[in-house]
Amino acid sequence: MTKAVVLHTPGGPENLSWEDWDLPPPAAGEARVRQTFAGLNYVDTYLRSGRYPLATLPVVLGREAAGVVETLGDGVDTVRVGDRVAYSSHLGGYAEANNVPADRLVPLPDDVGDELAAAMMLKGMTAQFLVRQTRPLGPGDTLLYHAAAGGVGLIACQWAKHLGATVIGTVGSADKAERAKAHGCDHVINYNEEDFLERVMALTGGVGVDFVCDAVGRTTIEKSMQALAHHGVLASYGAASGQVAPETWAKMPPERFLVKTTLPGYTKTREQLLAAANDLFAVVRSGAVRIEINQRYALKEAAQAHADLEGRKTTGSTIFVI
Amino acid sequence: MTKAIRLHAFGGPEVLVYEDVDVPAPGPGEVRLDQTAAGVNYLDIYHRTGNHFANLVPPATPGVEAVGIVGAVGAGVTNVKPGDKAAYPLTAGGYAAARLVPASALMRVPDGIDDRDLAASYMKGLTVGHMLNDLTTFAPGDFILWHAAAGGVGLIACQWAKHLGLTVIGTVSSDEKAARAKAAGCDHVILYSKENFADRVREITDGKLCQAVYDGVGADTWLDSLKCVRAYGVCASFGLASGPLPPLGFADIPAEGFVTRASVAAVVRDRPTYEKGAATFFDVLKKGIITPHIEHALPLAEAAEAHRLLESRKTTGSLVLLP
Repeated sequence: MTKAVVLHTPGGPENLSWEDWDLPPPAAGEARVRQTFAGLNYVDTYLRSGRYPLATLPVVLGREAAGVVETLGDGVDTVRVGDRVAYSSHLGGYAEANNVPADRLVPLPDDVGDELAAAMMLKGMTAQFLVRQTRPLGPGDTLLYHAAAGGVGLIACQWAKHLGATVIGTVGSADKAERAKAHGCDHVINYNEEDFLERVMALTGGVGVDFVCDAVGRTTIEKSMQALAHHGVLASYGAASGQVAPETWAKMPPERFLVKTTLPGYTKTREQLLAAANDLFAVVRSGAVRIEINQRYALKEAAQAHADLEGRKTTGSTIFVI
Repeated sequence: MTKAIRLHAFGGPEVLVYEDVDVPAPGPGEVRLDQTAAGVNYLDIYHRTGNHFANLVPPATPGVEAVGIVGAVGAGVTNVKPGDKAAYPLTAGGYAAARLVPASALMRVPDGIDDRDLAASYMKGLTVGHMLNDLTTFAPGDFILWHAAAGGVGLIACQWAKHLGLTVIGTVSSDEKAARAKAAGCDHVILYSKENFADRVREITDGKLCQAVYDGVGADTWLDSLKCVRAYGVCASFGLASGPLPPLGFADIPAEGFVTRASVAAVVRDRPTYEKGAATFFDVLKKGIITPHIEHALPLAEAAEAHRLLESRKTTGSLVLLP
C-alpha cells in the first residue's frame, strides 16, 4: 500500500483526494520508483477537469517525477535497484511510488538533483525537441514563442537565446513580460495590449520569423501562420485556448511548414530519449538555462496547487515534495 | 510583325487562334526574345478555359514558358544581352514567335542544352528541383511518394530522385503509364484506380512511410497523402489538379511530419533563389541525368491540337510548340 493523490471522477481541484493507493508489484519490463519529487503541469489540469479524456478511472495524475528504483519486474536490464531516475512518459507522478516501463526511465547524473529533474523532465524535454529538433535554432534565426513566461516558455526562450537566436515572446501581463525578458526574450509582446502579428512584422522588418511555437491554439494560430517567414516552421504542440477549426489549418500560407509535435514523438526509442535528456542536462549544467522552481507543495495539497495554477498565480516550475 | 496564338474568349481548343501580332521595342527592364520553342503545361488549359485556378484575361496569349534568342534589351537590363540564348518560366504570353519578357524572369542558358528539351522541361524541372532540394533532407534509400509519376513533372521527378539515391514510389492511372514511370526510375508503381495508395505505401515501406510526399493532385489525394509521411518528413502540396485541398482536422496532420504547400512561384520570385534553382536544373539536364520525354513537338500554329492531346490525358511526357 502506498499513498497517492487519486482522481475518481473528473472535475474541479477538490476532486483530487489524498488516500491509500494499491500499487501492484511491477510487471515484466517495469520498475517500481520510490518517488521523491513530482512536477505539476498544465496538462494535469486538463486531465483532472475532463477536458482531455482519461482511459481509466480512478487514476493518479502527474506525468513528471523523479526518485529511486526500488524493485524490478522481470526482464529489466536498463536500470538497477538504487538508481536515481526520472520520467515524463507515464501517469502516476502524484504518488509515493509508481510502476514505470523501465526503458522510459532516464538515469540521473550525480549533479542533477531529484528535485531539478522532476521540475524539468516534461517541460525541459519539450523545450529541447522544439529548439533543438523540430526547428534547430542558431545565430540569425528568429523565434516567436507564445506564453513565453510559462513553464516550457521560460526554458525554451533561455535555450533559444543561448543558441544565438533572436527571441520574441508573447505574454498576458506586465509581470510576465518582466519574467520573460529575464529569461531570454529579446522582445516581449503583451497580447492583451497589442496585436502580436503587427508587432512581429515590425520587429522583423516585414520578413516574419523562422519558427513559431504555439501551444495556445485557437486564439493565436492564424496569426502565427501569418507571422512566418519564407520556409518558416509553425509547431503546434497544444491548444490551451481551444482546438483549432479544420478550415483554419488550410490557411497556412505557401512555402511555410506546419508541424504537430509531441514529446513522445521525439522520444520513440530509448536512444532518442537519453540523447534528448542528456542534451537538456548539459545545457542546464552549463548555466545557460536555469530551471526556476517557484512553488513547492506537499502531495496532499494537490488541490490547492491545481487551483493556484489555474488561477494563474504560479510562475516557472511547480513541484510536489513527496 | 510576328506570329502568336491569341485567346479572345475562354473556351475549347478552337479559341486558340494563330494571328499576326506586333512586338514593340523593349521598355526599361524588358527583353525581346525571339523564341525557338515554347512549353505546353496543364496550367495553359486552365488559362484557356478560364478555370478558377487561372488568372489570364482575354485577349491574351497563353503559354507560360519558352526558350529563345535575345533580340533586343531595354534600359537597365544586365543579365542578358542580344544573341544570348535564354529561357523563362511562369510568364504568360509564351505561345509566340517573339515577345517581350521581363528580364527578371530570364535566365541565360549554358551551351550544350537543346532548346526543345529545355522548353519541355524548364518549369517542371525548377518545380522538381525545389521539391527535392529545398523542402527536407534525405538519407540514401529514403522513400518518397510522387503522384502522377508518369506525367511531365512526374517523369522528371523519378529520374532526378533516382539520381539522388532515393527510393521512388509513384502513383499512375494505367498499366501503360506504370511502364513509363518504371522506365524513368520509379521503383514501385501504384495503380491508384485499383488499390488504396496509402495502404500500399505502408506495405512497400514496411510501415516506415516516406521521408517526402509530393502531391500535385489535391482534393482527391491530400488526406491520404498525409498518411504516407513519416515523422520528421515532409508532405508537400504543389498542385491542385483534382480541386482545392479539403479542410484539415487536427487528427489529419501527421505527427512530427512537416506539412507545406510549395510551388515554382517561390523559386522565381527571388532572383538568388531562381539563379540557384536554374543552375542546379541546367546541370542535371546537361549531364543527361534528366531526359525530357518530348511526346509531341508541333508547329506553333497547331496549339489547339496540342491542347486536345494534353486534355485527352493519353499523353505521358511533354509537349512543345515550335514557332
